[in-house]
Parts: sequence; structure tokens; C-alpha cells
Amino acid sequence: MATRIDDEMVHDYQYVPEDFMKHLMTTLGIVVIMVLVLAAVFGVPEKPPLTIQGYATKHPVAFERMATRDLNGHGEIANYGPPYNDGTGYVESGLQKLSGIWHPINAEQDFILKPLRMAATLNPRIMSALRTFESASRARQITWANNYEKALGGHGRVTGDRVIVPAGNYGPVPALITATWQLGKSGLMSGALTRNPHVVTRFNNQDYVLFLEGAPLHHAAAPLHLLGDQWGIIHAAVPGYPAAWWMTIPTWIYQWPFVAHSKAADAIALSLGLGVWLLLALTPWIPGWNRIPYYLGVYKLIWKDFYYRRAQKEDRHDVSPSRFPG
Amino acid sequence: MANWTTAARNASATVLSVDTWLPETMPEYAQGFMYMLGSLTASSFVVLIVSGVILAANGPATWSYNAPMRFAAAVHFWAVQAFFFFMMMHLWRVFFTGAWRGGRRETWLLGAVALIIAIPTAFTGFLINGDFYTQWNAVQAKDGLNAMGLGWVNLPSAGQMFGMHVVVLPLTLSIVIFGHIYRVRRKGVVPPYPDRHTSAEKEDRHGNTHRR
Repeated sequence: MATRIDDEMVHDYQYVPEDFMKHLMTTLGIVVIMVLVLAAVFGVPEKPPLTIQGYATKHPVAFERMATRDLNGHGEIANYGPPYNDGTGYVESGLQKLSGIWHPINAEQDFILKPLRMAATLNPRIMSALRTFESASRARQITWANNYEKALGGHGRVTGDRVIVPAGNYGPVPALITATWQLGKSGLMSGALTRNPHVVTRFNNQDYVLFLEGAPLHHAAAPLHLLGDQWGIIHAAVPGYPAAWWMTIPTWIYQWPFVAHSKAADAIALSLGLGVWLLLALTPWIPGWNRIPYYLGVYKLIWKDFYYRRAQKEDRHDVSPSRFPG
Repeated sequence: MANWTTAARNASATVLSVDTWLPETMPEYAQGFMYMLGSLTASSFVVLIVSGVILAANGPATWSYNAPMRFAAAVHFWAVQAFFFFMMMHLWRVFFTGAWRGGRRETWLLGAVALIIAIPTAFTGFLINGDFYTQWNAVQAKDGLNAMGLGWVNLPSAGQMFGMHVVVLPLTLSIVIFGHIYRVRRKGVVPPYPDRHTSAEKEDRHGNTHRR
């Protein structure tokens, strides 16, 4: 029976002595020296995080606007969808809906009102604003927050320690959001967001990390070329350092126009990336594709010495009367 | 039904054999730098485990205020770069040599599985570092996992990512790498393709010689 090209190999080879332990110790030694030198010379790339306190201090109007969007449900997480809530803003697939709400977040409560209830014990003036807001209908709350968000976007400016907007129908929202901003500036917001009265450990910092999702993080990431359409996945936050360059193929897929412009960009890009991996993983079983190395012929370079020795050996065998009649 | 202990003894005799793990001979074609790439990858993994154990023993944020831990973090960072660099080089070598031939398909598959597990293993490490890269990637990458229906994996939760990075993923990766290397040792590295062109050229050369 003929052997398939994708399974053909030489059989008449020899085994030669090998000190395998020395081989392993050599490779380990190479890696140890290499990483010690790289670590000593280049250290580790660390870009300080964007803190809530830092953002509140440097961008008061944007901070207030972001916080207001958590009250009217326009915020990135407020309207995200599974696994955080019933929102629709970031639902890319049926699978995402099906997977359900694993890590519930009510942005209005968890990001704004609960921290303010804690702050109200220190500043009772917050309590009256909270009571007014919470006793209003949902429609009214949204109207106040929408009006305030719009006013901040067009006319918000900082005067002293206050964000000023033209007079309008905002209800208690300015008082609540100003208090949120002050809480943010104080540095206490991170503690309020990670509070868990049931345990003393703080392993779940989800709300703290997600609080700045949206414009704050995007504006910080763009100059570092970390955005998705900047091939951000493979860029380090500290220029000049390597990052996850092994994600080059999925990052490239993200740049394809039909992927980049799709509302389900992540689902499509990762599915296609998984397809590429499957092609790689199943290479031995894919007819045609599993012969590519044979046709490419790179193996001739890799086994150049082996083939050379073999040819020499065959040449010696071929020294026969037919070649040298005599 | 066969005796389970006997079956386990027989399997262990092969899996734990010095003949499997410490060979004193190698095929003549498996020589040179190209055949160091797998070992260089495994060596990088050893450095990752050692530096990772040091980091885990001291706590994930100690690098931010402790100089020796910052150095350990730097070693861990460069070791992961070395790991992926050598793994990719190894991947090219095994691809170009058709390393799945001769009953080695499962070896290839285990290598590919190691690659796909290594990616989140490294990524979760970036996610517990705590700098801006952590913050940005936790927020960005969660959308992809959520879209794929993997919402239970909560990238912005440092606690879950710590468990994933320190236990779940490296343990899984270690088992897969063990299986991969075990199969490489049991089946041996793939022999070269038959040198047909060489033979054909030689025949042609000989033919010309005869015609002279």
C-alpha cells in the first residue's frame, strides 16, 4: 500500500549518543541568564492606573457627567446587559443573553446611591437630596438626570470647588452628583465600591474597575495606542516594551472592516480567532493542509545536514562497477 | 475486568520510566538549535513557575512597594516573553517539519491545546498586576468573553483572576505540557520527510554520467 505524503518519513536513521540532562540544563541556563539580564536592565513595564480620585480631581465636569449617566441608565455599565444586568448596550450574541447575569450590577445603586448613603452619615445634607431623589418616580429621576447630563455636556464649568451649570429642572441631582464628585476626590470612593459587609477580604474589585469604564478609560488609553482600532491588544502601556504580541492574529482580525464596524465585533473576532486556532490544532487531520510543509520544503533546510550525510552515504554505496567500468 | 492496580502499575512503569524521561541516545536528525526550542520553551515555563511561586508567596501587589518583589515581577514578565517567543519558534519548527506524521497527531494536538491555554494563563497574570495595563485590559477584554457566553469569568475581579492565574490555568497548562512532552518522549521526534528530490536529482545526475 502506498504511503501518504502527509505520513511519509525516512526509516533508516541511526541513534547517536546524547547527554539529555546536559541539554536540559543548558536550555534552562540560557533562559535563566537571559531573563535575569533582561529583568535587571529593563525592569518591568508599569503604567500607574487611572484612579477615581485622579480622574475626579483632573476632570470634574467629565466625572460628574459620567456619574450622572449612572443615574439615568445611559452609563456604559448601567446599560451593559449580561453578565451584569438587563441592559442592552453591549449584548453581542444570543450566547451572552443565555449565559445570564453572573455578576449583578445596578449602576445607579451600586456606583452612586449606596456610596452616597455611606457619605451621608458624614454629611447629613446629602441625606435630604437622597430622600428627594428616591421618593420621586423613575420617570422624574430620569428627566432630572437627563437635564443635568445635557447641561454638563454643553455648559458645565468649574468654579472653585463646584461644577456650575445654568439653572434648570435638575431636582436633587446636582447635589447628589456634587457629593459623588467630592467622594471621588477624597479617595474614599474606591473603598465604597469594594465594600462587602459579609467578608473582610476585598478580592472582588469589579465595581471599582468598572466605575471608570467608558470615556475616562478611553481618553487615557488613546494616547498610549491601546484602543482596539489601534491594534491595542498587542501594545504595551509603556512604549518600547513588548506586550501580548502573541495575540497578533486576533488583533489583526479586529482591524478587518466588516469586523471593526460590526456591533458584535468581539464575538466575530474571537470566533474567527478560534477558527484559526482550530485550523492549527486540527492540521494533522486536514487533507491538503497537512501536506503544506512537504510542499514548502523548509524541512530541507532544517534537516540539511541529515540529508547531506545521507547523500554522501548513498554516494559511497553507489561506487559500483556500472559507474566505473573497468 | 482487569486488575486496576496491575493496569496502574503497568502504566506507571512507562510514564515514570527513566528510559522515557532520560534518554541516552537521540536520532541523528534531531540535532542542533532547532531541537532546543521545545526545551527552551519548557525551561521558560520552569522559570515562570519558580518566579510565580515567589510572587504568590509574597502577595500579588508586593511588587508595588518592595524592590526585590519588583525584580521577581520583572523576571516573571521577561520569562513569559521568553516562553511565548520559544513556543512560537518551536511551533514554526514542528509545522515546517510536519511533526504530526507517524502517529504523532495527538502530540501536535496537545501542543496546540497548550498554546490556547497559555494565552489566558499569561493574560490573567497581566490582569492581577494592578497597573493601567491591567485596568484597561480587564475592562476591554471582558466584552469578548461576555460575547462568547463566558460571563462567569469576571476579568475585573482580581480575586477570580488571581485564582485563575495562580492555580486553575497553570495547573491545567502543566498537565497539558506534561502530556505533550510525555508523548514526544514516547513517540520520539518525527523523522525527516523522504529525500525524494535528492534521490531524483542523483538519478538524473547518474543518468547524465552514463550518457557521457
